[in-house]
Amino acid sequence: MENKKTNTQPVLTDEELFSPVSHSDLESEKITAPRYSYWRSVFRVFFRKKINIIILSLFAIILAFTYIYPALTDYNPYANLMNASAKHLLPSAAMKLFGKNIHWILGAGASGQSTFDAVWFGSRISITMAFICAAINLTLGTLIGAMWGFSKKVDLVMTEVYNIIGNVPYILFISVLVLIFSAGFWTMVFALTVTGWLFIAYFIRTQVIIIRDREYNLASRCLGTPITRIAVRNIMPFMTSVIVTLAATEIPSYISYEVFLSYIGMGMSDMSLGRLIYQAENSMLTPGWQFEFWSPVVIASIITVVLYVVGQNLGDASDPRTHM
Amino acid sequence: MGKYLLRRILHGLVSIVIVVGIVMVLIYSLMDKQLIFAQDPTYTNLGNNAKTVYQYRRWKEFGYLDYVPYTEYLQALVSSGEISDAKRTEVAAIEKKSSEDPKAVKEYVQKFTQYYESKGYTVKRLAAVMSGRKVAPGGAQQLFAFKNKPLLGRMLKYFAGLIEVDNIHYAQGDVGKRGLSFTLHDPVYGGKFSPAIVGNGTRHKYLLYCNSKFPFVHQNLVTINLGKSYSVNQGVDVFQTMNASQGSYVRSEITYPTSLTEISADDLHSAVYIQGSREASAVNIARFSDDYTGVITVKSGLSKIGYSFVIGIIATLMAYFLGIPLGIWMAQKKDKLVDKIGTVYIVFIIAVPSLAYIFLFKAIGYNLGLPTTFDMEHATKLMYVLPIVSLALPSIANLMMWLRRYMIDQMNSDYVKFARSGGLSEREIFTNHILKNSIIPIVHGIPASILGAMVGAIITERVYVVPGAGNLLTKAINFYDNGVIVGVTLFYACLSVVSIILGDILMSMVDPRISFTSKAR
Repeated sequence: MENKKTNTQPVLTDEELFSPVSHSDLESEKITAPRYSYWRSVFRVFFRKKINIIILSLFAIILAFTYIYPALTDYNPYANLMNASAKHLLPSAAMKLFGKNIHWILGAGASGQSTFDAVWFGSRISITMAFICAAINLTLGTLIGAMWGFSKKVDLVMTEVYNIIGNVPYILFISVLVLIFSAGFWTMVFALTVTGWLFIAYFIRTQVIIIRDREYNLASRCLGTPITRIAVRNIMPFMTSVIVTLAATEIPSYISYEVFLSYIGMGMSDMSLGRLIYQAENSMLTPGWQFEFWSPVVIASIITVVLYVVGQNLGDASDPRTHM
Repeated sequence: MGKYLLRRILHGLVSIVIVVGIVMVLIYSLMDKQLIFAQDPTYTNLGNNAKTVYQYRRWKEFGYLDYVPYTEYLQALVSSGEISDAKRTEVAAIEKKSSEDPKAVKEYVQKFTQYYESKGYTVKRLAAVMSGRKVAPGGAQQLFAFKNKPLLGRMLKYFAGLIEVDNIHYAQGDVGKRGLSFTLHDPVYGGKFSPAIVGNGTRHKYLLYCNSKFPFVHQNLVTINLGKSYSVNQGVDVFQTMNASQGSYVRSEITYPTSLTEISADDLHSAVYIQGSREASAVNIARFSDDYTGVITVKSGLSKIGYSFVIGIIATLMAYFLGIPLGIWMAQKKDKLVDKIGTVYIVFIIAVPSLAYIFLFKAIGYNLGLPTTFDMEHATKLMYVLPIVSLALPSIANLMMWLRRYMIDQMNSDYVKFARSGGLSEREIFTNHILKNSIIPIVHGIPASILGAMVGAIITERVYVVPGAGNLLTKAINFYDNGVIVGVTLFYACLSVVSIILGDILMSMVDPRISFTSKAR
């Protein structure tokens, strides 16, 4: 009915129908395109893949266990130290002894402590350390790497520094620092960041050099754009996906480093994941004790894999070329 | 090219020197000297002045400072003929306090103090510690001089002594007529034909000789001196520690210079001059006719570097032979099943801590019945399997990841589209264009991975108890063995500089577009 009504209403005259529209220079410059928000597109692309939702929820569970779970439980590794029957128990035996609750689903360790609690308290230390190290190294590395890539003078000096520092075995650096200070948490953070930023800066420098001399930047420079604006507006968007991908490989690598250093006896004194693995090494081949060794190993692996996959996929999603 | 290479090598040498400097600052200046006594039972058992003297003596041995006790100074005066032995005994007896010294002693103490203070030493006199009327245990009076070594002097001395060329004026004391002689009949083989150069007055007796081992002709004329080990392998040079064979002795019938024939593991070709050593023991008198008695024993196993290299090189070869075809396959079947399985494998290796998957391989190998620990006495080929596999699998993943990445990047480039529109078959495009271009960065890494095999792998060697070179550095750090730390670092730095230069040369050979001469640019 309504359709008919509109069609059959010859209200407008010819003059009204063909009146000239006022022309505006400003309006003609506008480009009509769908509204584009960078970060909204990133999340749209990220959540398009169903597997990302699964992995992200796993990530949330891990974070909950590492940060909320230890706050809610009080865990004393030496509570059962004098109880000889509580040591090296399989999950079934531990649950029979202490009752069925979440603490004993991975059995009991060498001093009768709950392996499950030990693992999450350990991963809180390891993950916190990895995040702090990654934050420091990525910030320093990106800033210095950007300068390194832009300035030819800085490049000359920094390349030499890189060649020299790259040749000093990093185990030596770390162990000397551990010996000078103590084998604590912040020493470890300092040891991993004191030279760690250099390798990230080198990576960023190479990326900056690749993009720096592209035609559009050359054109931008010819038009008189100041170098800071080129850096922030032309190059930064390109680097976002690179930096996110880099973070994805860096954060798990610090956890692996920490595990490795603890294993060779140069780690920190806190009961981190690495130290748990180091202490339980002898239980690996003892029948019935394997749970103590494999629980921290498997949980460390799950944490690193989840962090890596989330980071990689976020890195893919933050590349504007995938936003079509 | 030659000029460019020379500049690169010089550059590399400068950075090696700076690296050694940094390491020396790290271990000698930044680290607390006191730490070396942390697990030293002798130190804890000593008391009073003896403890102090022991401290300085150990610090000298570990290379922290120069330390000269008074008695040593007097001994030197005797050797140079300045004072007689009787005089030495007289003036060596310092009293409990410096004020009680007799006149003759005072004179020489004064001389000692003046001489060493003029050389920048600090002279320290420790008065006896008394408990009641008697001297307390370890409380005897002491007199010595010490000086901290400056970094520059330490570095100069280290690099000056790095390469040692044997000469006929090495041996001290009376060795008869000094000189080199060439013989066609090596005395070690009892007059059989075998050319050798034998020296008298040199450090090594045999400067050049032949035997049945690769490379058949050996020399002792030039030795590399990376520094002495103090605790890992007491008193032995780092280079020797890395290169000497290990395991059980290989005994064979040996005719000594005195024509005594015995079943022994001694390698007479390694004989080194040790002053007065023949007279020192009856065994040496029976065996040797001169003071060249310092021999190395022949052992059945490989050296530390040998084991690391055998495992590393096989793992590297395996990685290239498997990783490159797999990487190509993944790139060809992009987004298909093969690519997805490969990606899962790569994510597993990169994300999971290396310790975790090495232990996983160890557990799998254990269940398959493979030997999980290395045993030099009962060497079988099977015990190499697990370390090699553990080393190869991560490098395979790495190669696959990068080759796939490079190939996919090349696939989207314009020249590939052009070749396709020109009518080339996919096969031709793949092998002649894409592969050729994407393999170049891979080629750059080949020398590094081959030379890197000598360094050894820390975790793998530890987990499978391989007596390789990988753990040398961590062990040295744990024992505060400064000589080994510096030597090993120097070795690593040289390897990395050489491998980068070789990689660049190899890359320019594979890709004619890359040129290092400035003219061609």
